[in-house]
Amino acid sequence: MSRFFTTGSDSESESSLSGEELVTKPVGGNYGKQPLLLSEDEEDTKRVVRSAKDKRFEELTNLIRTIRNAMKIRDVTKCLEEFELLGKAYGKAKSIVDKEGVPRFYIRILADLEDYLNELWEDKEGKKKMNKNNAKALSTLRQKIRKYNRDFESHITNYKQNPEQSADEDAEKNEEDSEGSSDEDEDDEGVSAAAFLKKKSEAPSGESRKFLKKMEDEDEDSEDSEDDEDWDTGSTSSDSDSEEEEGKQTVLASRFLKKAPTTEEDKKAAEKKREDKAKKKHDRKSKRLDEEEEDNEGGEWERVRGGVPLVKEKPKMFAKGTEITHTVVIKKLNEILQARGKKGTDRAAQIELLQLLVQIASENNLGEGVTVKIKFNIIASLYDYNPNLATYMKPEMWQKCLDCINELMDILFANPNIFVGENILEESENLHNADQPLRVRGCILTLVERMDEEFTKIMQNTDPHSQEYVEHLKDEAQVCTIIERVQRYLEEKGTTDEICRIYLRRILHTYYKFDYKAHQRQLTPPEGSSKSEQDQAENEGEDSAVLMERLCKYIYAKDRTDRIRTCAILCHIYHHALHSRWYQARDLMLMSHLQDNIQHADPPVQILYNRTMVQLGICAFRQGLTKDAHNALLDIQSSGRAKELLGQGLLLRSLQERNQEQEKVERRRQVPFHLHINLELLECVYLVSAMLLEIPYMAAHESDARRRMISKQFHHQLRVGERQPLLGPPESMREHVVAASKAMKMGDWKTCHSFIINEKMNGKVWDLFPEADKVRSMLVRKIQEESLRTYLFTYSSVYDSISMETLSDMFELDLPTVHSIISKMIINEELMASLDQPTQTVVMHRTEPTAQQNLALQLAEKLGSLVENNERVFDHKQGTYGGYFRDQKDGYRKNEGYMRRGGYRQQQSQTAY
Amino acid sequence: MASRKEGTGSAATSSSSTTGAAGKGKGKGGSGDSAVKQVQIDGLVVLKIIKHYQEEGQGTEVVQGVLLGLVVEDRLEITNCFPFPQHTEDDADFDEVQYQMEMMRSLRHVNIDHLHVGWYQSTYYGSFVTRALLDSQFSYQHAIEESVVLIYDPIKTAQGSLSLKAYRLTPKLMEVCKEKDFSPEALKKGNITFEHMFEEVPIVIKNSHLINVLMWELEKKSAVADKHELLSLASSNHLGKTLQLLMDRVDEMSQDIVKYNTYMRNTSKQQQQKHQYQQRRQQENMQRQSRGEPPLPEEDLSKLFKPHQPPARMDSLLIAGQINTYCQNIKEFTAQNLGKLFMAQALQEYNN
Repeated sequence: MSRFFTTGSDSESESSLSGEELVTKPVGGNYGKQPLLLSEDEEDTKRVVRSAKDKRFEELTNLIRTIRNAMKIRDVTKCLEEFELLGKAYGKAKSIVDKEGVPRFYIRILADLEDYLNELWEDKEGKKKMNKNNAKALSTLRQKIRKYNRDFESHITNYKQNPEQSADEDAEKNEEDSEGSSDEDEDDEGVSAAAFLKKKSEAPSGESRKFLKKMEDEDEDSEDSEDDEDWDTGSTSSDSDSEEEEGKQTVLASRFLKKAPTTEEDKKAAEKKREDKAKKKHDRKSKRLDEEEEDNEGGEWERVRGGVPLVKEKPKMFAKGTEITHTVVIKKLNEILQARGKKGTDRAAQIELLQLLVQIASENNLGEGVTVKIKFNIIASLYDYNPNLATYMKPEMWQKCLDCINELMDILFANPNIFVGENILEESENLHNADQPLRVRGCILTLVERMDEEFTKIMQNTDPHSQEYVEHLKDEAQVCTIIERVQRYLEEKGTTDEICRIYLRRILHTYYKFDYKAHQRQLTPPEGSSKSEQDQAENEGEDSAVLMERLCKYIYAKDRTDRIRTCAILCHIYHHALHSRWYQARDLMLMSHLQDNIQHADPPVQILYNRTMVQLGICAFRQGLTKDAHNALLDIQSSGRAKELLGQGLLLRSLQERNQEQEKVERRRQVPFHLHINLELLECVYLVSAMLLEIPYMAAHESDARRRMISKQFHHQLRVGERQPLLGPPESMREHVVAASKAMKMGDWKTCHSFIINEKMNGKVWDLFPEADKVRSMLVRKIQEESLRTYLFTYSSVYDSISMETLSDMFELDLPTVHSIISKMIINEELMASLDQPTQTVVMHRTEPTAQQNLALQLAEKLGSLVENNERVFDHKQGTYGGYFRDQKDGYRKNEGYMRRGGYRQQQSQTAY
Repeated sequence: MASRKEGTGSAATSSSSTTGAAGKGKGKGGSGDSAVKQVQIDGLVVLKIIKHYQEEGQGTEVVQGVLLGLVVEDRLEITNCFPFPQHTEDDADFDEVQYQMEMMRSLRHVNIDHLHVGWYQSTYYGSFVTRALLDSQFSYQHAIEESVVLIYDPIKTAQGSLSLKAYRLTPKLMEVCKEKDFSPEALKKGNITFEHMFEEVPIVIKNSHLINVLMWELEKKSAVADKHELLSLASSNHLGKTLQLLMDRVDEMSQDIVKYNTYMRNTSKQQQQKHQYQQRRQQENMQRQSRGEPPLPEEDLSKLFKPHQPPARMDSLLIAGQINTYCQNIKEFTAQNLGKLFMAQALQEYNN
């Protein structure tokens, strides 16, 4: 209150308001024109009326407003720009400022801005989040404002010490207070403000009326303009408004002041002025309240979201009192859906709208048909939420999606009279006629398939070693339940095609899981365990094997698209192999003839095929069928691209070869981590089976010039091992295998065994098998057998005869096994020996050529080719220049003789054994 | 000269006699017109060569050195030698000539024969017939006519019989090498076959009487086991290695022949083309003549048909020579082994 009076009493430059109020000079120049202008268009008048000072100050206030807005949205770049403009504008206004003193609002913005910047500067977190431009602008602005503020130091400190007096809001508050007090004053005088107003409006004083009118108009105008500004810039704040107004008000006031002396006495004029002010303040106060309300309701909201949803939100609510019927809801739904896919549509808002619509529909008991219809659309728009294929759903969206589908399924199960299908036309839908079965357009199967794909995408895009992945993986159960429910639903209502598709989904979620329960049941015979427990376990669900069998068989029988059947077969084989049903798996693989035409399939199916082959190989290995294991794994392992072929990662090497697009496609093909096959296990299985095959083979064909390699990769590993300058104890899996191979070459099965099966290898490989101990014992036996074979191949030339008992002791195999192995070798003509039954010994025949004999044979062969070449030379000579080289014929005869000798040699070397 | 021990009697050690005899028989044909008919080696030289290999050579690496001595009539007496240092990569600028000269000068100071009469080289399973040997022996023989190369086979020596052979290039080969033309025609003209490339000169190892006496005494004292090396029956390794090497050479030979074959084919094809061209030309000329036009000018046929570069045949000759040596070796070796086997059999029977 004091302020009001102080402004009236003396002209302190400290407060901008009071300063303004008392300034009359600039207006004075216009005074003469005033009457003329009044008659003109009001807007024009308003503009012209402004003084230079007003203009400058308005400029400043506008800028300040923008800065404040920029501060609010933390747009430091904008702040910087505006601040620079402000500085310029201030420079322009210098002359006025010199007269008037520094305007309060100016000091205020400087102080605030500095505080704000310091605050930002301190907020390390926020700074990190800022984009580069903003961060740069921040540091620049901070420096600038520091420098700039040095000139205003005293003012700012003053402001800071006494913010109540200076701050505008406070000032306004003061004004309000003062208003109250002025009212009181007026009361004292016996005139209430309202009465005053009334009186005034009644007063016939033309000028005052005119003034009033004008003032009102102006208020209106300013309000309008404010509104406009609101819409245009969308960034006006209420307090700056008031500031502006204040500016205007003072203009009016001053004008009034100017005029007053001509018609009324000083005192009255002062009074009137006060009254006017009071009235205006009243107006303004109410207006401001309105504005504030508006701000709270619309303004703020609008600034965040952008205009569109605001427009939409209103219609959605349905005009009050509208009767909510099917048609209205459907209309609304269509209205919402029309925005779908359009640019600029807020997808999140759309989803919300749809959800609200569902609520409304259910509140109004519109029947399940409508709900189902809307649900379908919600799920669809959930899928639409991501703009492209590469990105995956956010967890909350995903959760929403799952819930939604579950609810949808609930409804569908609860209302068997609802027909859902993608082939139901929009027109023939029946959403509410309860007499007939409800028909809704939409395909639950597609939704579920899409959901499954989304799930895969989420899994692909989550770091497999994080807790997050585990969290996501927990949803897998939910996905499975949903698929199961849909399956049940479709089994009742769907076509065979649809059933096949949903079966495939089910299969895809089943085939890679090891069925521990079934495994346990198998291990413990039914009579061993307590009956109740058994039943319980059985009730929990059928064996996945049975399930797979049932689903796959259905697909085999009913499917008409090749792809689904192929996938089903592969999954079936995989499942068989995973559960060690080797013969079923192998037979299925062979019967399907997939190996012949898999290269024509699309990449995901090929990846599935590769996975199946690998699983088959590992299965064969577990069964001790090393040869089958080796053959199955050969294709995958020999390329050295197992990782890529199994869809378990991209190779860095070929990164340059493909472009961005291809890489994206390949990334989408990746198999989620929980389906991965352990690559080290794979390689180890391959190498060990290669070792078991290759080492005896190498021993058998040591001196054979044309021996082929069984496994290139294994040989590669051996060579790598040989190249090591210093052989330490093996570390990696490969080194273990190489070391074991070396031991095996010498027939030293114990060392070989200790290299293949030990702590390290157990941890790395063997423990990963479901029946690790069984595999290990199989492996030991294999090593013993193959070592025995290797030993016999390598050292048979040293023995005349060897007792089988000795062999049995050496390799810790029982006698019949040794017997059978040796018999097999003899039958296959790998070992030239015979068994002497009474003494249980192997008698060597020594018909194998010795090293020298082998060499001689090779030499003879080479000489043969040499002679052939030589003859060709001579044929040439003879053919063309028969007579010319006659004397060379001697050489030819010699060659003939030589050849004979060669032939003789061959005979000799043949008779040698 | 004083260091040379003049032996009166025939003083070849027993061990070297077999090789010497074998060499003599073979060398007979070639050495007829040679300047050197016999090589007499001092025991010291043999020991020095063996020692050199023992200390520096291993595996396929060869050791080389210079022989010093005198020519007496048609007999080359080698009385001393010194080794070349092993080539290593750090001293690439090692000057061999400088080294030799200095070495000989120093030896002269201690009154040793300083006449350069050839060089020696060790060998790995008898593989010495190479281009490098040919080239250096050619330069030796070109400078000093009487030069020989001594080939020392350490592996055979280790089996109990000293294997030391002296070789010289035949005068025919010397001529061809002087021409430096190894085309098929030149070789044919020179009448050189692989058998006529090297001539072996018989070797006699000569020791002083005192040494001979010592030898006899040592022989009496030595245990029987020390002499058993010669009777070793383990032959497979040596034979295998030789066969392996032989096979490699045969492969090389094969390749060489294929190369030659292609050349022959190309040449004959070209000849045919040339022939056709000439015929056509002739016909045209005849026609022109009948029409009374002047004949076409003569063209340089060699420009039209560039003759193919004939492959050098020296390498294949050398390979053939090497194969020959291998075969000799094997033959020798197997013959000896057969003898040993029969002996062993007889012993076995006798014992039983």
